[in-house]
Amino acid sequence: MSTIASSMRHVRGFDVARPLSIGMLVFMMLPLVFLPLASIFIFGTSNGLDKFWGALSAPEAVFALKLSMATSFWATVFNVIFGLFAAYVLSRYNFWGRNALIVTISLPTAIPTAVAGFALLLLWGPYGTLGRLLAPHGIQMMFTASAIILANIFVTFPLAFGVIKPVFDTMSHSLEEASATIGATRLQTFWHVTLPSLRGAIVSGALLTFARAVGEFGSTILVSGNLAGRTQTAPLYIFAKFNEGQIEAANAIAIVLALFSFLIFSVLFFARDWLDVD
Amino acid sequence: MKAKETLIPRPEQSASIADPPPAAASVVGISKRFGKTSVLENISFDVAEGEVLVLLGASGSGKTTILRIIAGLEMPYTGKVILHGKDVTELPARERGVGVIFQSYALFPKMTVEKNIGYGLRIRKRRRKEIRQTVNELLSLVQLEEHRKKYPSQLSGGQQQRVAIARTLAYKPEVLLFDEPFGALDTQTRVHLRREIRALLKKVNVPSIFITHDQEEALELGDRVAVINVGHIEQIGTPFEIYNHPATEYVATFLGAANVLDAVVGKDLLEIGSAQIPATLDPEKFKPGACVKVIFRPEDVSLTRGDFLRPGHARIGVATIEEITFVGAYERLRLRLDHPEECKTDETPYYLTTETPERKPTKSIMVTRPKPEASATRLHVGERVVVALNAFTVLPPQSTKSPN
Repeated sequence: MSTIASSMRHVRGFDVARPLSIGMLVFMMLPLVFLPLASIFIFGTSNGLDKFWGALSAPEAVFALKLSMATSFWATVFNVIFGLFAAYVLSRYNFWGRNALIVTISLPTAIPTAVAGFALLLLWGPYGTLGRLLAPHGIQMMFTASAIILANIFVTFPLAFGVIKPVFDTMSHSLEEASATIGATRLQTFWHVTLPSLRGAIVSGALLTFARAVGEFGSTILVSGNLAGRTQTAPLYIFAKFNEGQIEAANAIAIVLALFSFLIFSVLFFARDWLDVD
Repeated sequence: MKAKETLIPRPEQSASIADPPPAAASVVGISKRFGKTSVLENISFDVAEGEVLVLLGASGSGKTTILRIIAGLEMPYTGKVILHGKDVTELPARERGVGVIFQSYALFPKMTVEKNIGYGLRIRKRRRKEIRQTVNELLSLVQLEEHRKKYPSQLSGGQQQRVAIARTLAYKPEVLLFDEPFGALDTQTRVHLRREIRALLKKVNVPSIFITHDQEEALELGDRVAVINVGHIEQIGTPFEIYNHPATEYVATFLGAANVLDAVVGKDLLEIGSAQIPATLDPEKFKPGACVKVIFRPEDVSLTRGDFLRPGHARIGVATIEEITFVGAYERLRLRLDHPEECKTDETPYYLTTETPERKPTKSIMVTRPKPEASATRLHVGERVVVALNAFTVLPPQSTKSPN
């Protein structure tokens, strides 16, 4: 990423292909990526920053943002710990069914998010396989913040695992053997030797998971019930306000989400060297 | 199956028998299997306090497995590992107190040099002051004081290795185990480093076991050397013994170049073709008329014109010079020896020498001559010379094959 391929010198004189191809690339990206993003900012601030700030500080909007952050946070915490554990087990031990487990962990990204939400409803819903047994005890998972966390966990399941596992795979086994011969227990070895080497992978995995969870819509709208001020996350708020014709309110949140993901990917991109530092 | 020596005296043999030093580490009857393949068979040896033992063998000989068994990273199929009188066979690696210097050094990449060295004491929950003091002592021992705040990736290979050694010395290991420690370094650095490390080991007086496939390294580093071949010990002894009195043909050819000739045992002599050379042999092992192998080093041969013989040399025949190569410090000659005659045995002879057995009644041998001798008597290709031996080793018939 940091090294740029040296420009080709097998043509004589001025290489027309160079400015032409770069221009073409930018031109193709304009209607697909740049302009849609730009229009959020143009429309969001066209009526002045006061209006924008007002739309953003509406109680329902603040709640939606907070809920999104909180549910994404807990989903991230769970998935990073799980991903770490799964990566450890699956790269250390070879057992029957290992590959099947790896495929299963990666599966949720390939499943349409609406299907994921629907599946969760069928399991945890009031008439679902598990929900039916829990309902008499007053435990209702669906249409609460817990449901959103569950949906977020489901759709971001393999992200942290996918980043951490390759690092585990390539990590020299002799580091852990050295630690053991020096006298460390497995836990001490994991804490002092293995974990520090995974720092970069853990941070990247967490950021990816969080960014993906904050933007989750398809499964959330099914399992949350979309109750404003109670189970409405930021993407659901945008959708609801848009349906109500309150374009400005929707737009304000859209700007925040867009900036937010931009920030996360900047960190991932520019802090890569720091995250992998030896 | 001791080799029988004739012309070279055995030094300092009686001293070690009279006063055997106590064993700091012992391996008793170790065997190991991976699935159905046996990789180690009945390995036993002792390492004395402060001694350096080198396990020398080709890759795949099982030497690394022996090391891993001593370290507790591998379980033996049978046998015991004893460290300072305590049977540790059942103990996990972390309870053995063994220091392992891995081939890749295995320094912890996210810890500084001083953190790496102090690691063993930190996990033993020693007091900060004690840790700092020990780390300081070790840093000055391995001369890395100015690098204490650096990370392993900022150090050279030799420096990393010194950190690895200091890291194990910090917790006063029962024994140090080196797994091909110079494998990743260039020739100049490894020669320099092994001298440095030998000096360091003599200073700290910790018993050490080295693993290597480099015979020069083994001879220079080891107080004793064990030659390992496909899972068993061929011979164990001082570098002098192993080099000058190899117990098997494998040992002879693995440590440097060696010539092998067939000979028939006579009364106080050996017959090599038509030549007879004096030899006092143990009649228990060498029955008259038996076919034996005579092994000699290229540098133990003297070449002369005419029938003049240097004192202490035994004539084995006449040869034609086939090739002369100049290799710096000495001159290497390939000769074809007349009529050495192979023994008439049913078995096909088993050679590990530089040349393949031929049906011709001649045999090619390798000879080296030091520079002064080479320039004093110039020899030429095609010339006929008298070949005489200054030293040789005789192997009884069965030792040409590996035991069991």
